[in-house]
Amino acid sequence: MSDDQQPEPPQALQQRRFIHLRWDLDKTYLRTEFDTLKDLIATFRQKAEDKVAVAGASALLRALLDPRERTHRRVTFISGSPRQMRKVLTRKLQLDGVEPDMFILKPNLENLLRGRFRAIRGQVGYKLKALLLSHMAAEHVDEYLFGDDAEQDAFIYSVYADILAGRLDAVSLAAILTTCKVYRHDVDEIMAYHRQLFASGEVVRRIFIHLERRSPLDRFTPYGGRVVAIYNYFQGAIVLFEIGALEPRGLLAVIESMESQGYTPERLANSLQDLMRRGVMHYSTVQKLSQELAAAETTMGRPVSRFLHSFEDVVSALENIQRPGPRWETEINYLGLYHEARFRRQQHRFLGIRLLD
Amino acid sequence: MAHIVLDTCAGRDGGREALEAAAIASLQLDHQITVVGDESEITAALQKIAHDAERLRVAHARDRCDVDLDPREILARSPRNSVAVGLEIVARDPSAVLVSANQPGLIVFAAQQTLGRLAQVQRAALAAVYPTLRPHGPASDPFALLLDVGATVQCDAGDLVDFAAMGAAYAAKISRIDRPRVALLSNGTGVAGAPSRVREAHRRLLGGPPGFEYVGCLRADHVTTGDADVIVTDGFTGDVLLRTLEGVAATGENLIRRAAEKLQWRLGVQMLEGGIQTIREFTDWENYGGAPLLGVDRAVIVAQANSGRRAFLNAIRLGAKIDRLQVIGAVGEGVAALRDHLRAKPTDEEAAP
Repeated sequence: MSDDQQPEPPQALQQRRFIHLRWDLDKTYLRTEFDTLKDLIATFRQKAEDKVAVAGASALLRALLDPRERTHRRVTFISGSPRQMRKVLTRKLQLDGVEPDMFILKPNLENLLRGRFRAIRGQVGYKLKALLLSHMAAEHVDEYLFGDDAEQDAFIYSVYADILAGRLDAVSLAAILTTCKVYRHDVDEIMAYHRQLFASGEVVRRIFIHLERRSPLDRFTPYGGRVVAIYNYFQGAIVLFEIGALEPRGLLAVIESMESQGYTPERLANSLQDLMRRGVMHYSTVQKLSQELAAAETTMGRPVSRFLHSFEDVVSALENIQRPGPRWETEINYLGLYHEARFRRQQHRFLGIRLLD
Repeated sequence: MAHIVLDTCAGRDGGREALEAAAIASLQLDHQITVVGDESEITAALQKIAHDAERLRVAHARDRCDVDLDPREILARSPRNSVAVGLEIVARDPSAVLVSANQPGLIVFAAQQTLGRLAQVQRAALAAVYPTLRPHGPASDPFALLLDVGATVQCDAGDLVDFAAMGAAYAAKISRIDRPRVALLSNGTGVAGAPSRVREAHRRLLGGPPGFEYVGCLRADHVTTGDADVIVTDGFTGDVLLRTLEGVAATGENLIRRAAEKLQWRLGVQMLEGGIQTIREFTDWENYGGAPLLGVDRAVIVAQANSGRRAFLNAIRLGAKIDRLQVIGAVGEGVAALRDHLRAKPTDEEAAP
């Protein structure tokens, strides 16, 4: 397909459009360790007060769910954590001042009792079904999805987005689900949702993948510009600010929250430069950001000049870079991506995880 | 937290390994790292490498330098080369350390042009470490310091005295030696047959310098015994000596490889493999990182032209250590203390009636 046939990235959002936020929990919103059985047990036994959110995540979510906008914003958490953890996780979100509209957890005990062992670890069937189930059938709705690089979030979210956009037909979806070894019962349910929701529209605006494992960026290139790999939520906030989904005061709240959690102006400036170099953010946004920060300093008395200086430094180090944004892929080779990821996992399992690959 | 400025236009694989080292350092170490080079090439390469963008910054250097040219000519023809851009950043930030495997002559020349000199220091010196038989200091550091190894080819006695003070201050900080033993490299244990600059430097250093112990002259065959913690010489001789030591190590390595040609010898080498590997590790220059340039008011580390990932990572660690221990300030203080001491003590001419 030629470039001129590529769909344009969504323009700045019109006011009062409905926004549906979909968040994964572990490693996306919460700093969770579950790489070993010991970690898993420790996570399960952790109290709500001991759970720690990823820097800036709760500030960003609170800013997106601003009471002034709340009637037009909705948040759904879809987590791979077992249902038995609902109480403690709900309490944690409550402590952070986040009130989810829907909270979907994995029926792991049920999977265990029914001998569906693949479903305990597998995410594709469970998450895709949950996403389709909780899809809000409303006009003028935009969805922003948040996941991480520890699991298959970029893959699952992109499949979901392409079903809604009408780019993934039933045959292709069935092939993907079979390859991912999704249980028959789940396949039937997903296919039923597919029939209902296929070609609902270009609903998913951005998929944010929190690089908790610092995976190389080229892992996400095949998904196109819709998937934005982020090193922290300041980067997520900037992208949302650029496309008009986040108000300047929300961005400022994220910056302040991250600063209180040890982020220096240099670290934030590096993150900003990274987005510019990747073409995800443009110079005009930096100018707009600088204006907003300067205004916040004069009107709200916020000491943000050190951030401004750092931002100016990183921008000047690039000597007027003009980089086109990443392409929006219309045809994603899901089966190829699945096999590639599987091969990589096996390679890591047998050879150990290499820092450079 | 140190700020490491890494030149990615030189080193093994056209500087690719320097970038990989920066990526690893961004994941493993808590330092701000600025990589200098062609921004579009760096960004494209970083896509494929796991790194932490929160700790990594890119500074664009639009000019490539032709390393075969004279340093002056390089700076005239390509003023925005990676060394020049890196040094500009270092000049602005007192906590920044430049690490570069570019042409040593260019780094030294550009550093002296861009950065300030330490008070009272006339010329800069490159300090290289090399392994010795006797450990040094309370941490049993197996390495001694040799300076200068190429920054100032022609020195006078005053320069050698400055180098002694700078080397001693550096060793005192890095190897935690209270009073480092400093020696002058000569062609004998006495100074009778030595060139006049060595004789004069020897005479000045004999007067009980503050902060270090002057142990006299040292012949080249005693350099590896560990009798001195710091060995001082001019840039030409130091470079020749260092290359000779590296050449001997490389010859030893070749001899071991050649031994593998005969079955009996190969078996012998196999049996000694553990020991050989230890010696190999001990003499591997990549473990030392690079040579700090002393005499300028910022930290600059010159890495070998064919440095790989490991060498760059060790150079980054060394740079961070130099920043943490405030070594450059200590070097300046060491030179000033020696100068004051020499001024207070009348020279032979002044003392004569």
